[in-house]
Amino acid sequence: MFEKLISILAKTDGDYADLRYEIKRETWITFDGKELASIGSGTTDGYVLRILKDGGFSSISFTRETDGDRAIRIAQGDASIISKNRKDPVRLAGADVIQDMSFPDLEEDPREITMEEKLDLTRNYNNIPLQNQKVVSTNISYREVIRNKYFMTTEGTRIREDLITTSIGGIITVKSGNSIQSVRCGLGGSNGFKDLRNGEDEFEKRTSLAVRLLDAKPVESGLYSVLLNPRLAGIFTHEAFGHFSEADLIEDLPTMREKMRIGNMLGSDLLSIKDDPTLPGQLGFYKYDDEGVRARPTQLMKNGALTGRLHSRRTAASFDEPLTGHCVAEDSRYAPIIRMGTIFIEPGKKSPEELLEDLNDGYYFLDSKGGQTSGENFTFGAQYGYRVQKGKVRELVRDINLSGNLYETLQNTHGIGIDLQLSKIGGCGKGQMNMRSCFGAPHILIKNVVVGGI
Amino acid sequence: MEELLKMVHKVSDQAEVYAIEEKKSKVTFENGKLKNIESSIQSGMSLRVIKGKKLGFVYTKNLIDREAFIRSATESFKAGAEGQIEFPSTGNVHSLNTYDPSIESLTNMRIVEECRRLFDRLKGRSRGQINIEAGSVTKRIRILNSRGTDLSSNISEYRIIPFTLYPGSFSALSRVFLGKSFEETPEEILDHILNLFSASEKEVKIKAKKMKVLFLPETMYVLIWRLKSATSGRSLYHHESPLSEKIGEKIFHEKLTIFDDPLNDRSPGARAFDDEGIPCRFLPLVKKGVLKNVYYDLCYAKKLKAEPTGHGYKTDMWETETISIRPRPALRHVVIETGDLTLSKMIESIDHGIIVGQALGAHSGNIANGDYSIGLSPGLCVENGEIVGHVKDTMVSGNVYETLRNVISIESTTHHAPCGRFPALLVDDVMVSTKKV
Repeated sequence: MFEKLISILAKTDGDYADLRYEIKRETWITFDGKELASIGSGTTDGYVLRILKDGGFSSISFTRETDGDRAIRIAQGDASIISKNRKDPVRLAGADVIQDMSFPDLEEDPREITMEEKLDLTRNYNNIPLQNQKVVSTNISYREVIRNKYFMTTEGTRIREDLITTSIGGIITVKSGNSIQSVRCGLGGSNGFKDLRNGEDEFEKRTSLAVRLLDAKPVESGLYSVLLNPRLAGIFTHEAFGHFSEADLIEDLPTMREKMRIGNMLGSDLLSIKDDPTLPGQLGFYKYDDEGVRARPTQLMKNGALTGRLHSRRTAASFDEPLTGHCVAEDSRYAPIIRMGTIFIEPGKKSPEELLEDLNDGYYFLDSKGGQTSGENFTFGAQYGYRVQKGKVRELVRDINLSGNLYETLQNTHGIGIDLQLSKIGGCGKGQMNMRSCFGAPHILIKNVVVGGI
Repeated sequence: MEELLKMVHKVSDQAEVYAIEEKKSKVTFENGKLKNIESSIQSGMSLRVIKGKKLGFVYTKNLIDREAFIRSATESFKAGAEGQIEFPSTGNVHSLNTYDPSIESLTNMRIVEECRRLFDRLKGRSRGQINIEAGSVTKRIRILNSRGTDLSSNISEYRIIPFTLYPGSFSALSRVFLGKSFEETPEEILDHILNLFSASEKEVKIKAKKMKVLFLPETMYVLIWRLKSATSGRSLYHHESPLSEKIGEKIFHEKLTIFDDPLNDRSPGARAFDDEGIPCRFLPLVKKGVLKNVYYDLCYAKKLKAEPTGHGYKTDMWETETISIRPRPALRHVVIETGDLTLSKMIESIDHGIIVGQALGAHSGNIANGDYSIGLSPGLCVENGEIVGHVKDTMVSGNVYETLRNVISIESTTHHAPCGRFPALLVDDVMVSTKKV
């Protein structure tokens, strides 16, 4: 394969070029209720070429090798347009030349598990909610994504890396009268098929939660102090802070760049946040990013002070900061962009029980329904919650969406738990989907959060 | 494709080949700088095969091994996914003008020049940061099946979106301009975002309570998403819809008429047939507040003993690769009928309320139930008929089946926006929560 890449790269005429060829094989099994809706596998493949020429940096993705010459012409033309239309040329930070291969060390390789066994396991999990009479439907899928990546640069880097991600999960929907409630459930990871076994408890608990939510009251909108469990605090870390550690988002946004200067005190002194794609066995693991830079742990915040950010080669040069290896693509349709790998709040000293006591009156919110950010403001949903009165958990509540201001909320973080957990299923849709986006946190206590309710 | 269809039909009862070729380019300007030009030349195909009552599905991009591809398809239906559908035998479909050949001569340099022109027009008139995204797409879709259907469509699209950003965030006002090929961006698009931005530059505080809320067209998708979910054949079949058995009943205010209009080829993206080869048609969803129709793909039409409506599309909300998605019920050309007031007159009619400029977190509410709870990014505050500033840390929440009963007025023009073409909509009695003043 590399010979083919060499022959394409040899035709480029620039200061730098890199080329990634990638094969992505997906296997899926989907149940809609009791029906097996789909089962099979499919393969996509293609090339992504990036060219730096006279300070203009452009990219093109293409499917067919026979489109290589045309793609080179377009990418070089685009680089020239950028070069002529920018006063400050694009530069790339210097990176080590690497020649390496990296294959995941799996606990049970899903490629060695038969389709029948995958089907049986998915059916077993799907049957758990279906036994409950309140469950009107499920949408439970097995998903296996295998990426075989070949990357090389005109500087001499040549990397072959595979990434394998598996999950079983989806949505359980219950109905009573006019009330419909849906709960997300799932298992997964990048550590092999073993991540998916013995997950009955997850599906049983989620089914029970969905049924209990039918009788729960919607949370009353207002301003509250809240305790977030690790699954929810992880999405808070990702949405409220993580995206602004991605240097490409703030590179050309001077007002945000000023606020995000290294050394600025952004959070309470309890808060320390790190991103580490090298943590073994975690969903977000990779060895090299899609620019061929070795991933490395990056301390983003230490005791409330901003200490680092996530970079591509382009932004590391622009900010004059060290490379971190966080420039990642979804697949062969895309040039890489800066993504979080495994971002987490480092554990503190308090137990969840102590944090509940500290909360006194407010809400305890649990598990995530996804979130979104627009700079200083963010929104994210909680799957469920409990009203807390005098440090005691009271009734179940639902329909929870929280909104906040990045800077105020980080300052308002008043307690950090000891119980760090990292996510097993990820997902971030910043322009491209990153299913290996991993996030985590211990329990955290935040004061003055706007809760939307319905 | 014909050869592949023949080969796969030999080992199945029915077969369908879907192929797509697509060329895209995207130009990004941030803060007056040309940041990126990204291009893409993609192609691929997917195959559906039916044998007995089983359906198989596979896809590929570079068809390296045709035999192996067909073998994967047959293995896929052997495993047992249900597939009691019959592929259509579609002959003539509406002849639509979906492709403007002049797009072939549109260069990225011309798009960059237009971005530069817009930036210069906007920068002198706004203190907000100006970002611009623009690009072009051409694609060719072809569907062949073993019942003789052979349909193809060429589609072209040019789009440009200027944004004015509030300081310290990505919170922004924007409006898309769409065409089948390049045209200069009309001044009214620039005037719209500049006028709203300049009136709302000051940060203001409000008190949390129920009030009038004006959804700009760019945020109507929050409400339409819930309606799309409830009127899908899939939701009805799985008992996930609050609208089951409500056809003929009044569900919204009588001022509201909502339809799906795939045949309108004045806009880019019109379709004469869906991704299963079923002819597309005009479909009233809600007429004067009364629910009129729901929509199906082949699969759910069969399950619910209904006629397919031509809404089987290979699409999802995450821009997953088209060929890798099985057709599913989807509305892609939703329109809300216009009302009788200009946006200015609608704003003048608000004594105290909020304009939703952009929405955050539309995906995280209980969509099946019709609930929404969104962050405002930005929210514009209106007092006594005038925009007085923008609010932060504020959410708007409700249930679409209550909110859309409280319609006060509808804008007299539609605009291209996510999920369709919409006017602005003013509704009453919506909960707005925020930090205490």
